[in-house]
Amino acid sequence: MTVPDPRFATAMTSPAPHSPAIEISCTTCGARVVVEEDLRTAECPYCASPHVVERPPQAGRPDPVFVLAFTLDRDAATSIVKSWIKNRGPFVRSGLKEGVLERTRGVYLPSYLYGARAHANYTAKIGENYTVTVTYTTTDSKGRSVTRTRTETRTEWRDLAGRYERYVTDTLVTASKGIGNAELESVEPFDLRALRRYSPDLLAGWIAEEPSLAGEECRRTAQAEMREDIGVDLAAFMPGDSSTNIRSDVTFSDEVSHLVLLPVWVFALRFSADKDPIRILINGQNGQVGGRLPTSWAKIGGAILFSLLALAAIFVAVGLFS
Amino acid sequence: MNEATCRRCESPLEAGDLRCAVCGDVPERLVTQVVSEGMEQTVLRCGQCGAATRYDARSESVRCPFCSGELKSEELTDPVEQTEAYLPFTVDREGARAALRSWLGNLGFFRPSDLKSAARIEDLRPLWWAGWVFDAQALVSWTADSNAGAGSSAWAPHSGQTDMVFDDVLISASRGLTDKEAYTLSPSYSLTTALPELEAPSDDATLEAFDVQRSQARARITDGIRRAAASRLQENHIPGSRFRNIHVRALLTGLDTRRMAFPAWVMAYRYEHKLFRVVISGQDARVMMGKAPISWAKILMVVAGVIIAGLALGLLAVLFS
Repeated sequence: MTVPDPRFATAMTSPAPHSPAIEISCTTCGARVVVEEDLRTAECPYCASPHVVERPPQAGRPDPVFVLAFTLDRDAATSIVKSWIKNRGPFVRSGLKEGVLERTRGVYLPSYLYGARAHANYTAKIGENYTVTVTYTTTDSKGRSVTRTRTETRTEWRDLAGRYERYVTDTLVTASKGIGNAELESVEPFDLRALRRYSPDLLAGWIAEEPSLAGEECRRTAQAEMREDIGVDLAAFMPGDSSTNIRSDVTFSDEVSHLVLLPVWVFALRFSADKDPIRILINGQNGQVGGRLPTSWAKIGGAILFSLLALAAIFVAVGLFS
Repeated sequence: MNEATCRRCESPLEAGDLRCAVCGDVPERLVTQVVSEGMEQTVLRCGQCGAATRYDARSESVRCPFCSGELKSEELTDPVEQTEAYLPFTVDREGARAALRSWLGNLGFFRPSDLKSAARIEDLRPLWWAGWVFDAQALVSWTADSNAGAGSSAWAPHSGQTDMVFDDVLISASRGLTDKEAYTLSPSYSLTTALPELEAPSDDATLEAFDVQRSQARARITDGIRRAAASRLQENHIPGSRFRNIHVRALLTGLDTRRMAFPAWVMAYRYEHKLFRVVISGQDARVMMGKAPISWAKILMVVAGVIIAGLALGLLAVLFS
């Protein structure tokens, strides 16, 4: 039931525009600056001003509709990530806590804000509880056989079928090849009340990425995310004391998507000269940290071994002294 | 009243809204078109020194790194709700006073006998309380348990879907009145009498302001719609006479919200050193809600009477058996 929506089509169904690196001149110092593929802006390396060169508009490359502006500056983000690393458990790989933070970047991450009208036909088994008084025979302390009663709760299962419709709003999915949707989810939620209309001044001095994922792919991700939300909501929607076997076919209509730039601080944590650095993301709005530091199996194994040895030592000691 | 409506759910959009509050769609005029081939470049320059500017996360504004000149790009709007219309008072001070007197005299047997004569009105104050009035159409999907069709359990599950039209449904935004007071008064108002300007009827009238922001207001309105839908479902749609676990999902179209001020007389009267509050509709003196003292002496008397009568009956039964 996915009828192509003309509005939707303009924004998302077009393939990700191919955006070759281009060279434009910095408007402050006149130097030629390369704007990398998949970036919307670039910093001029020659002039002292932290000025950002924006790509000229181009057909087939949609302008963002909204921006969520950074509210966390570099220093604040750095101190958050440092204390986050410090507070990881004892089992992270050695060297990580002493690792060096490099290549800190505040990036406006392109993502689609997706909304739709969701329709679902559902069936479920609904459990309705009732109590019965059961009579049973048992033997008492003197060995005599006696009759007693107790109340038991039983469940009567009923079939329920119905239709469910509502709007789904505020689903965010990444439009960047560089940062996957799971990674974006690790720093969600963003407070969408702070959305602002896109205007180039909000990007001044910051790096903004261009969407690099094809619209159709983002749409599939968005639909999967919405299906998951609806599954959770349907479970809460069921009556009865309990419910099980909830099955539904979810379809979407009136889909809309809008390109939003999200503020994300990206840190690279280098902990060893021969390993790739680990990427840590921070929500540029509320400071939520996303990412996982790898655990050291050697450390965990060591801890287990140590506790086993300690136990064995205790046993031996107990055996000797008894 | 509103110039723009959402193209998807037909709800009126309000000034400053970036997205539709009901369905999240973005109004047409906002969506920027794909720009045609043109090579013009936009660079923002500081109005003071001419240097290129940058956005500053700390001040959340665009700032010139050289001269610290600041330019606010766009104010974020989550404005506090403002009253748009006022209903006039049609009950005057004397009318309210008389209504309170007759109410005190008609509360029933268990009130003190001298309530009407001994109660002293301490304070009588006109005020406008704040509330939202909405119109909407909704496709309501619901599930619930009711006693209809029940088997071994007292409950059986039901589900359904129905169209509902809401006209002039009132949701209280008042902090001064309890929800119950506001709910009791709401049928007494005639919304057609609403005026855009405040006509002060008297000296000391207070106007309660909306003290919630738009985003919170919407959450409360959505909540109100669910409750209104749930109570209608119980009356007309769910089979049976006893209900529980009513779940409602509403697909709204054309949600139109008005912010109004409703007139009421708030009175305080004293009876035996205790203060009691009564609220009377400013448009219909018969509609009121308040607290009144209970006469424990009378209640004790009745209880004692019942016990004595019971004992007497028991005694009689023993005597005649």
